[in-house]
Amino acid sequence: MRDATKRWVDGFAKAFYIAKKDAKVYYFKAPNFTYGLLMPVSLFIAFSIAGQIDSRLIVSGLTSLVVLFGTTSIEAVAVVLERQTGTFERLLAAPVSFFTLILGKALAGFFFGLIIATLFLVPLVVISGTSVANPALVLVAVASSSLTFSALGVLVSAYAKWVPEAQMLANFLRFPMAFLSGAFVPSKLMPSQLWVAAHFLPLTYSVEALRIAMNDSAVTFTYWFNLLVLALFSLALLAAAAKVLQKKIE
Amino acid sequence: MKVVIKAQELTKRYGDLSALDHVNLDVFEGEIFGLLGPNGAGKTTMIRLFTGQIKPTSGSATVKGFDIVHEPIRAKEHVGVVLEVSNLYDELSAWDNLLFMAQLYGVPKREREERTKRLLELIGLYGRSRDRVGAFSRGMKRRLTIAAALIHKPDVLFLDEPTTGLDVQSSKTIRNLLKELNKGGTTIFLTTHYIEEADQLCQRVAIINQGKIITVNNPERLKASVEEQHIIEASFSPFQDLCDQLRELDHVNAASMIGDKFRLYVEDASKVVPLLIDFSRQNNLKIVSINTLKPSLEDAFVKITGLSPEVMMVEKEQRSEKSRNIG
Repeated sequence: MRDATKRWVDGFAKAFYIAKKDAKVYYFKAPNFTYGLLMPVSLFIAFSIAGQIDSRLIVSGLTSLVVLFGTTSIEAVAVVLERQTGTFERLLAAPVSFFTLILGKALAGFFFGLIIATLFLVPLVVISGTSVANPALVLVAVASSSLTFSALGVLVSAYAKWVPEAQMLANFLRFPMAFLSGAFVPSKLMPSQLWVAAHFLPLTYSVEALRIAMNDSAVTFTYWFNLLVLALFSLALLAAAAKVLQKKIE
Repeated sequence: MKVVIKAQELTKRYGDLSALDHVNLDVFEGEIFGLLGPNGAGKTTMIRLFTGQIKPTSGSATVKGFDIVHEPIRAKEHVGVVLEVSNLYDELSAWDNLLFMAQLYGVPKREREERTKRLLELIGLYGRSRDRVGAFSRGMKRRLTIAAALIHKPDVLFLDEPTTGLDVQSSKTIRNLLKELNKGGTTIFLTTHYIEEADQLCQRVAIINQGKIITVNNPERLKASVEEQHIIEASFSPFQDLCDQLRELDHVNAASMIGDKFRLYVEDASKVVPLLIDFSRQNNLKIVSINTLKPSLEDAFVKITGLSPEVMMVEKEQRSEKSRNIG
């Protein structure tokens, strides 16, 4: 029992070291922050100029987009780059389990998503005067979203052979999600087929969880349901990434 | 002698292709063991299997008694790996690269910095420890890659083509480093297609071709096994590639070109020397030199595998070119 606990603790510690290394090598560079922030900020300005916006509606939607684009932009290429340079073999030869390795990769994107969402949300709330009903619930929703999108990035990266392929694949998933998830238009207003399709996308649950956290100070069932779905997406995406990657390596 | 690396019927298949075919091998504690063979023979596959990067199709392998499939983490804890490409993080400093490896291999926190410092001193890079690895030369990267493999004081060190693409001085430095490590008790398993490297470094050599181990012995015994074969080395003026014509001569089993000389593997030197004199006359060539040689490990390799050493030379050049293009 003690051995098993020690192995888990060691595994998480090593996943954290992999994430820390990834943060230094890939994430914490100025262009990555600007890329993650640029599109959502531009969209916010565009909506503001057009007028007629419910700031809480648009801020929550855009925050989810910041997390999606921020995490996946690097996560989707991190494993591809490591495989191309041969550094991934270094990780494979180290005494870490495959789960630890994949978790480490996802954690780097997770932390980056949290930071970039904070950098976007705090100034925007202050400048626009948007009220936030429950900041703690917002943080939990951002964290859950960040883990899910990071796992999505790992899956894309596991599947792709080259960086351009990974970027193309990431965009193929991100842009339809951005327009179907209700980030700009509430999903209730969509045609029924699109409304159904939206519920197969993790961004839909992220947007909804954030919207509830910004509007309601109390925790609702729908909020927890959205977090649960995000958690299930995270597990499924990480498991799929591990399977795809193992197949590619063999 | 204690066996530290063991393969039993180890097989790796990729579709219809057998990268390794029922390999049986024992490597003993404290020896430098070389796996010698041409490109595509299965050397890298064997290293990848022993270091737990891929799983065998069938058969088993153990390192320090731990099965690489069922106890991979325990096996990897005893192993240091230097892969063919110096796969360090170019964006990180030498110091940060080694520190990351110390964290990954579970080196106790209080020892990490001391070991990093000591290893950087050992490989002569302490003065450059805060520089980004991307700015290092190929030889410096190679030394640092070896240091990264030693951070957790492994019992067994695997090296895949440790000196490929390096200049003479860097290769010598690395060979000396490996000899020192071996004196300290580290078991070394290396792959190489440099025959002279295997001869200089290894206590035992396995020759591998097309996924099969052809023979395992120490270099001197391998050389002795071909002593019944005579070798003549000759050079002609004006210089031109005469390999194909020389192979056609009676009593000549094989011929290869080494620099401006031709090496002929013959049954009886006394019968071939007069033929060479006739050959030079018929082709208006002047014999610059003609010598009989004692068999080398290269000669043993030629006899055992039936491959020309030129095959290995061509691959070396092509691979070096490839590395340059990537770099």
